Amino acid sequence: MDQPLLEMRGISKQFPGVQALSDVSIDLGAGEVLGLVGENGAGKSTLIKILAGDYRADQGDILIDGRKVSFQSPSDAAGKGIRFIYQELITLDTLTVTENLFVGHLPRRRWSGMIDWRAAHDQARDVLRGMKIDIDPRTVVGDLSVHQKQVLEIAKAVNKKATILVMDEPTAALGEEDTRSLFTIIRGLAGQGVGVIHISHRLKEVFEITDRVTVLRDGRKIDTVKTADATMTQLISLMVGRKLEEFYPKRSIPPGETLMEVRDLTVNGILDHVSFTLRRGEIVGLFGLLGSGRMNLLRALYGLDSVDGGSILIDGTPCVMGAPSAALGSGIGYMPIDRKLEGLALPLSVSANITMAHIDHIGSGPVLNRKLEQEKVERWVKDVSIRTPAITTEVNSLSGGNQQKIVLAKLLETGSRVFLMNEPTRGIDVGSKVDIYQMMEMLCEKGAGIVMVSSELPEMLSMADRILVIAKGRLTAEFARHEATQEKLLQAAAQ
Amino acid sequence: MGDALHAAPDHGPKKRSPVSTTLILFIVLAVMVAAFSVLSRDFSSFLNISTMLTNISFSGIVAGALTLVMITGGLDISVGGNIALTSCLVAYLYNLPHPVPGWALVPIALALGAPIGTFNGLFITRLDLNPIITTLGTMAVTRGLGYVLTKSRSILIMEDVTGFIGRTVIPGIQIPIPLVLFLLVFIALFWLLARSKFGRKVYCIGANQAAARASGIRVKRVKFLLYLMSGVAASLSGLILTGQTAVGMPQQADGMELDVITAVLLGGTALSGGKGTIMGTLAGVLILGVLYNGFTMIGFRYVHIRVFQGILLILIVALYEMREKKRF
Repeated sequence: MDQPLLEMRGISKQFPGVQALSDVSIDLGAGEVLGLVGENGAGKSTLIKILAGDYRADQGDILIDGRKVSFQSPSDAAGKGIRFIYQELITLDTLTVTENLFVGHLPRRRWSGMIDWRAAHDQARDVLRGMKIDIDPRTVVGDLSVHQKQVLEIAKAVNKKATILVMDEPTAALGEEDTRSLFTIIRGLAGQGVGVIHISHRLKEVFEITDRVTVLRDGRKIDTVKTADATMTQLISLMVGRKLEEFYPKRSIPPGETLMEVRDLTVNGILDHVSFTLRRGEIVGLFGLLGSGRMNLLRALYGLDSVDGGSILIDGTPCVMGAPSAALGSGIGYMPIDRKLEGLALPLSVSANITMAHIDHIGSGPVLNRKLEQEKVERWVKDVSIRTPAITTEVNSLSGGNQQKIVLAKLLETGSRVFLMNEPTRGIDVGSKVDIYQMMEMLCEKGAGIVMVSSELPEMLSMADRILVIAKGRLTAEFARHEATQEKLLQAAAQ
Repeated sequence: MGDALHAAPDHGPKKRSPVSTTLILFIVLAVMVAAFSVLSRDFSSFLNISTMLTNISFSGIVAGALTLVMITGGLDISVGGNIALTSCLVAYLYNLPHPVPGWALVPIALALGAPIGTFNGLFITRLDLNPIITTLGTMAVTRGLGYVLTKSRSILIMEDVTGFIGRTVIPGIQIPIPLVLFLLVFIALFWLLARSKFGRKVYCIGANQAAARASGIRVKRVKFLLYLMSGVAASLSGLILTGQTAVGMPQQADGMELDVITAVLLGGTALSGGKGTIMGTLAGVLILGVLYNGFTMIGFRYVHIRVFQGILLILIVALYEMREKKRF
């Protein structure tokens, strides 16, 4: 192979407590489309952020055209012709297409220094036409569709002489047709010698657009394969690769009668007539890729997001929907994905946090019964094994695992029967994970039901009795635990 | 979180600061009282202390209610305008050709704060408007209405209708009525904030509004009630002021918002919310009241003290900010 356009050699990066990347090397040739795949947390984003100059690698080199470069900041990377298209677009929505395209260097009139709008729009039209894009340059960007904005971002990147284009999940928000036209543009760019790195969860697309694929797992490079020689199954097993860990409790509770029934739950543009049931003592796992709607489903069920249609029945009785207070009243509790964002009041005490979702029940009338609160909290600290110096300690000063257990204790204190758990063990140590699994098991023994979202496949496969697969806001498949495999789930979700 | 205000048993001690901020503030207060007593013979006279406490009561009631608003991360700067409008309304109603009887003026004046607070509360919670801007608007509206109502003049209240509230002292023990009202309001607010379920919700909202909502706390309802409370507290204050001055004029309580915000911040309430106590605010209003009175007694003029107060406000915020960062 010729001199590669870009080479990342032996990149390692450590964050407090996590080895995000260890000794990862990739290379990209001119005119090549390289796929980058891996599970959530495999290290794709970290690698890209190092390339962008957002993070500095602890070890390793970046070479462009064989020359070592050092990126101190995002503008350094841009200076070398590396452009990034992220899933979240950074267009200036109140300005026109032309202004977005030439931001910072609009053509000016010679004498007055005023912006020459006619020339600007003409140039913009040329650029767009050159890429076979049909958008009026005078349109205000806020009026464009997501796809059009994305195309505009690409046009902007190319207009600034990109030699390397990095696209992180560019198709996540796109429909079939828009994806196709995006791919046409990518191929056109590759034909002109631009090197493209394409990150995607949708394996089908990876096969469609890439020349080679690099697989990352747990911060390591597993392999780089020629797309033409690879199969979907091979790629998935490279991505997943590991055995189920042994610390999951042996789940043996036979699910009882129906506890919750969800009928045609719809959130416009996000969830499309989702229906399923949850039985007593059952854990239902929700599996889906980024942007599939798996988290929106939990939020909608709990009333954190507004719902456009559908109903929830608990023990056959319809629930009032639309507010967390109502959900709690019907016996639905929620564990948020980000404990710092929606879970904890960090500056307050362990006590105040554990009773936060149940304040109205701590004592009768308007008075907060502080003695009762203390008793309850002390019991939870023991039952959930929260390690804290005192129940009056500020939650801020505790470890992630203990904080997560406080969120769990808060949830348990509500006395709910249905528990919606969004990534219940995200970013915590193994010991705390085991404690949380055991609490989940105990809840099931007591006849509660759990709906769980988890990006960790082994966790999902070991804890869930049934796994529902969600893609683009619709339930696409259902597996009982014994029939689900990582390959099957990924295949159902990556459609 | 560098202070010990939450050291009340229900919010957890902060191991970083062994001495509570409130305690420090009360020590500062004692030192100031001692210093002014030495510098000015009249400072510690009964008459002066009584006048000072009456003045403190007037702004203290507002500061007390504002403390709760500020713990949720909000703000209400319409209190000064609210007070002015209350005084104008009372004077106006009393000077109509068929005057509203004196006994009816008290409930009418108190009831004025409710729609103002409701207005603030609705716009801030339902439309999610910025509280500073919303109450800035209300401030202009209320003060403006005061001018309209009085045709920009001062209206005297000749007979002693509201004077009972503003100027009477309880016979025998010689405690002015405003001070009694002030103490009652503070006892009620202390109970509400430190002992009731509602108070706990106020702290939760201030510490993390998203988490409070996700915990089923009806954030908008709680915040609405606080703005309502702030409105009613301001009109109670307005009634006291009208009683003291026996005049309704639209310039009343000019710059009042600066006084109360300074007092609340001085008391350790964080602008970002989640932190603050009624005892802290009590210390804040007492210190500020003593400062005003003491400086006046030793010969400073109001305008000078005003300059000093502005600097003090910025100093306080800077000090708390530094304490937060360096954790001293």
